[in-house]
Amino acid sequence: MRTALRDLLRHPLRSALAVLGIAVSAAMLLDMVMLSGGIDRSFASLLLARGYQVRVSPRGTLPFDSEATLGGLADVLRRLRADPDVAAAGPVLGTAVFGRGAADSAVVLFGYGVEPGAQGMYELERGADLAPDDSLGVLLSAPSAVRLGAGVGDTVVLAARLDPQVASASVERRLVVRGEVRWVYDYRDQPSVGTLLPVMQALAGEGARDAASAILVRVRDGADLAAATARLRAAVPEAEVRNVDDLVAVFRQRLVYFRQVATILGAVSLIVTVLLVGTLLTITVNERLGEIATLRAIGIGTGRIVRGVVAEGALLTAAGGALGLALGLATARYLDAILTSFPGLPAAFSFFVARPDALLTAALVLAVTGTLAGAWPAWLAARAPIAATLRAEAT
Amino acid sequence: MRRPPPTAATLLAAALALAAPAAAVAQALPGIALERALARSLGVGVGDTVTVGTAPGTGRAMRVEAVYAPPPDPVSLIRRERRVRLHLPDLAALLGAPDRVDRLGVRVRGAATPESVAARLNAAAFGYHAWDARAIAARSSRTFEVVSRFHRAIGVITIVASAVFLLCIMLLKVEERRLDAAVMRFIGVRRRTIFGALLLEATVVAAVGAALGVAFAWVAGAATNLFYQRFFDTSVVFSLVTREIVAFGAALSLGLGVAAGALAALRLVRTPPMTLWGRG
Repeated sequence: MRTALRDLLRHPLRSALAVLGIAVSAAMLLDMVMLSGGIDRSFASLLLARGYQVRVSPRGTLPFDSEATLGGLADVLRRLRADPDVAAAGPVLGTAVFGRGAADSAVVLFGYGVEPGAQGMYELERGADLAPDDSLGVLLSAPSAVRLGAGVGDTVVLAARLDPQVASASVERRLVVRGEVRWVYDYRDQPSVGTLLPVMQALAGEGARDAASAILVRVRDGADLAAATARLRAAVPEAEVRNVDDLVAVFRQRLVYFRQVATILGAVSLIVTVLLVGTLLTITVNERLGEIATLRAIGIGTGRIVRGVVAEGALLTAAGGALGLALGLATARYLDAILTSFPGLPAAFSFFVARPDALLTAALVLAVTGTLAGAWPAWLAARAPIAATLRAEAT
Repeated sequence: MRRPPPTAATLLAAALALAAPAAAVAQALPGIALERALARSLGVGVGDTVTVGTAPGTGRAMRVEAVYAPPPDPVSLIRRERRVRLHLPDLAALLGAPDRVDRLGVRVRGAATPESVAARLNAAAFGYHAWDARAIAARSSRTFEVVSRFHRAIGVITIVASAVFLLCIMLLKVEERRLDAAVMRFIGVRRRTIFGALLLEATVVAAVGAALGVAFAWVAGAATNLFYQRFFDTSVVFSLVTREIVAFGAALSLGLGVAAGALAALRLVRTPPMTLWGRG
């Protein structure tokens, strides 16, 4: 290894350029490994953020992917809660509402109707949660608090079904802000408000009575999730029942483009690394054929010479890889900032997730690739005829 | 879990459940147009009868009047939704939502601008919001702006990697000529001539590399289009190798190649010939 290091330092410029080239390739490889696995992991952890593993939505739809609602809610909930493995089932109704706070002008908000005792949609940040019978309370997100100019303890008005002809709302509710929450699935700057489910159903209109957009189900710890999902599917055949794995599979299908881009660019990075290490070592070995022949002539074993050349490749790859790791993490943050600005994407979602297994995979793949790239030059060095090489060098 | 702005298309795609084709074909049935991929997956064609409803067991028979190829829309293709088109009263009856639409298209008259009409409509009443077509286009193209920014960022990283790779290869390529350069210096060839010869060689290598790169890009682009157009059953063009892109790529490769070659050649001609010969 020491000899390999000395050989590399004999050509500092070319070694530095090779390390830099490998670093950029390693950074790209790391980013692509993070991208390919990060989407699934990030989405799964987002879905499990509140511990609810199953989603029930109207037939043929994904949760909150359309305006469709699930009717006969009381009956559906009764059947879901009858399952022995269901620990909690929380219905959610989403609808557009108008709000008025300190500023008198109406702002468009997204309203969630929830059951506070079984909700997987928000985390309380300040103030108090809604009580199960608190039909006069409302929860705000930070963006909705700003737009309404309201805080905990203030009164806001929610209105819905505005009639353009008479310029008035069909229904209005004066509600007191109980707390400020972070809605887990909101996109960046989404102004959301939350009330008890019956309040939001009343705001949404006659069609939303006894209806919900989706139901979040938490299965008991230790229960077989797949079996529980199958039973729930049979219990509510009129609805779409998907567990986290099913939803991740659907989401993965939608973002298949990014996974394929990650695979292609990761492969290109590896090819560039192989070419760079291979070319550099081939030329280095060609330059040192006389020296290698002399070493072999005085009895140095072929294996030692091969190990020396392979070690040079491994050293270059290790140095480039270490630099590439730092570079990759920095570029991943930049690329993630670009992709997470997709409109409508939950703010908590990430495309590039720096997981230990991703880092390890990228490092291992790079190490193996870089080391193997030295195999061809090493084979050349080992196969060079000693006498002919020495004669050629002498002339 | 976001709630997208309501559109007839999303509502329709979400709310309808299509059952297997019924046997009887009646001309009096309401008509429906099916997207090509949906018709293929259901195994139905023009003249067949399908049952359409908002939930299993609540369907209504409809006659397939047309099978259409969807417009090449990148947004809808990644959602992998299958769509149908119905006459508005039929859909309203199906959904139990008469006298209601998700949106209206308005054509302005005479010299009025869409922006001014939208502003007047918004000031006149509330309960709706009017947008001019340009504003809608700007909002709906945000997804593609993000993808485009991502591609540009990846492109910059690729260019940096290529530049370093090219510099390294050119340096090695020129250094391979150490002995040739030493001999030329010994026999009296001027440094400038050696520099010119090495630069010419670097230019030829860069030009051939750029040409091969353009050919590879064209083949890769065609393969990408072939794969994704079949994968998504669409005519959307995924990879476009334009003249501007070719010119940019070729100019960059040539520029970087020549610059790298020049740097390496300069370094070589400044080295004493005995050192190049290995005796310095």
